[in-house]
Amino acid sequence: MQPACADLAIDVAHLAKSYGRIDAVSDVSLQIARGETFGFLGPNGAGKTTSVKMLLGLARPTGGGGTLLGRPLGDRRARAKVGYLPELFRYHDWMTAREELAFHAGLAGVPHADRAREIDGILDLVGLTRRANDRIGTYSKGMQQRVGIGVALLGSPEIVFLDEPTSALDPVGRRDVREMVRALKARGTSVFLNSHLLSEVEQTCDRVAIVDRGRIVAAGPLAEVVGGATGVRLRLGALDEAAFAVLRRYGSVAASGEWQTVAGVAREAVPALVRELAAGGVEIYAVEPLTATLEQRFMEVMDA
Amino acid sequence: MTVLSIASLTLHEMIRRRLILVAAILTVLVALLTGFAFHALATKLYHGQPLPHVQVLGIAAQLLTLVAYMFSLIFALGGAFVAAPALAGDVDTGLLLPVLTRPVRRVDIVLGKFLGLCAFLSVYAFACGLLEFAVVRATTGYWPPHPFVALGYLCGVAIVMVSVTMLFASRLSMVASGVAAVVLYGVAWIVGVASDIGASAHIQAMVDAGTISQLILPSDAFWRTAVYHLEPAALIARLHGNAPFMVAAPPPLPMLLWSFGWIVVVVAAACWSFATRDF
Repeated sequence: MQPACADLAIDVAHLAKSYGRIDAVSDVSLQIARGETFGFLGPNGAGKTTSVKMLLGLARPTGGGGTLLGRPLGDRRARAKVGYLPELFRYHDWMTAREELAFHAGLAGVPHADRAREIDGILDLVGLTRRANDRIGTYSKGMQQRVGIGVALLGSPEIVFLDEPTSALDPVGRRDVREMVRALKARGTSVFLNSHLLSEVEQTCDRVAIVDRGRIVAAGPLAEVVGGATGVRLRLGALDEAAFAVLRRYGSVAASGEWQTVAGVAREAVPALVRELAAGGVEIYAVEPLTATLEQRFMEVMDA
Repeated sequence: MTVLSIASLTLHEMIRRRLILVAAILTVLVALLTGFAFHALATKLYHGQPLPHVQVLGIAAQLLTLVAYMFSLIFALGGAFVAAPALAGDVDTGLLLPVLTRPVRRVDIVLGKFLGLCAFLSVYAFACGLLEFAVVRATTGYWPPHPFVALGYLCGVAIVMVSVTMLFASRLSMVASGVAAVVLYGVAWIVGVASDIGASAHIQAMVDAGTISQLILPSDAFWRTAVYHLEPAALIARLHGNAPFMVAAPPPLPMLLWSFGWIVVVVAAACWSFATRDF
């Protein structure tokens, strides 16, 4: 069920953007609830970043329209409650991280009295407290991305756009970002996560949309987009022809030692399969329903 | 408030990037070198006698217009070199993207950068101009008739260049906008010289070309007005028409008014262009 309009952080219909004869985005419609963590996926050049720029008012749509936080796209009052980490992030290399955050706190309208406390809290959150007074130009790429995440979190935003937020981070940094996204969700902040790392999206997002050639080709709750079980793996005792016939009736069978993999079995059909095998006298030692990953589903959609 | 915040950021960047330090060191070096030359002029002996003081003052006045031209060239090119990266550079590198998603007006970003750059160039122009005048006075005793007015118009040259560069930078890349502004400046200057030659040779088309060039880019009008206020009345009286580095009469008042209005219009155009573009 779609959320009511007032509960929507993003509500856009048929967004399109053309540059001359090139259609960067053809048709993107999205409804994202407040507090929702949304994954936006697609191959390079699919129109993800252009879509994000239209949502943020950085680019004007040539078709369609909608609202961000209940206000028209590009509205200044909506931008007061938005955080953004661009894919190609760059910050003032002559400033310290603390100065960069203070500059953005001023632009974001964070009250003077709260700035020092908020900046200290964010520096701690992104793990830069120790280097807060060093020039950003002396930071590694990963540390600069942490500055960018900190900038995006300033001013208690109601929605945060993270465009490839872990592209420069090591595994520890990636884990930290996942935890940050969960913390944002816990405090009711919407997160729009644009990432090539499907495992990250899978671990953090409630809903996803897959965009290809400027159009959304699949969208919905993560479980729905990924689909249910696509098969079952069984560790069985000796099998006679009747038992094999039962397996083949449920799907295509591949054997590997004591393990039999039956592809194409819906999750709901697994108990019936097990009951039939048991009734036929087959010894069952293990049953493992196989779940498709987001990556598999993504590849299926792209191949289609 | 956003305008002041961006202007302050622009000034801080100039300081932190050591631009002001480098400019200060080079200005002192230039002052020392020119001071050496002016001192040589004042103490040079001809047939065992120093030049009469009146003659020294006359030569110093003419030499000072040459030095002023060098400074106007520095201010003009400096204006283009700082304005192009300030706007287009920040767009090219993506530095402005998170700034533009804040609740700020794009117009405020352009105005803030414009004011910051103008403040920097004006302080620089007055500081090095007054230093140079002081050196000339200390070595030759010459002091131009209207130094502050002249320096104000030299600032105008820099502000014209900042304005036109920001207009280009609102849409073009950093390199393209800087080069376009410098080319325009060079054309305006050489057409101005051609206009003077045309006036001497009574070729109206060349004079008209100069007027049109001043209407398109009024840097030359500011430069001529600045020089006029540096020249002593005795020198102006001896001039028979404008020369490349000397001016017999300043541009007419309507041209000056046009020049000031031109800055307002071009900055407004830069604001509009930046506010309506895609990123």
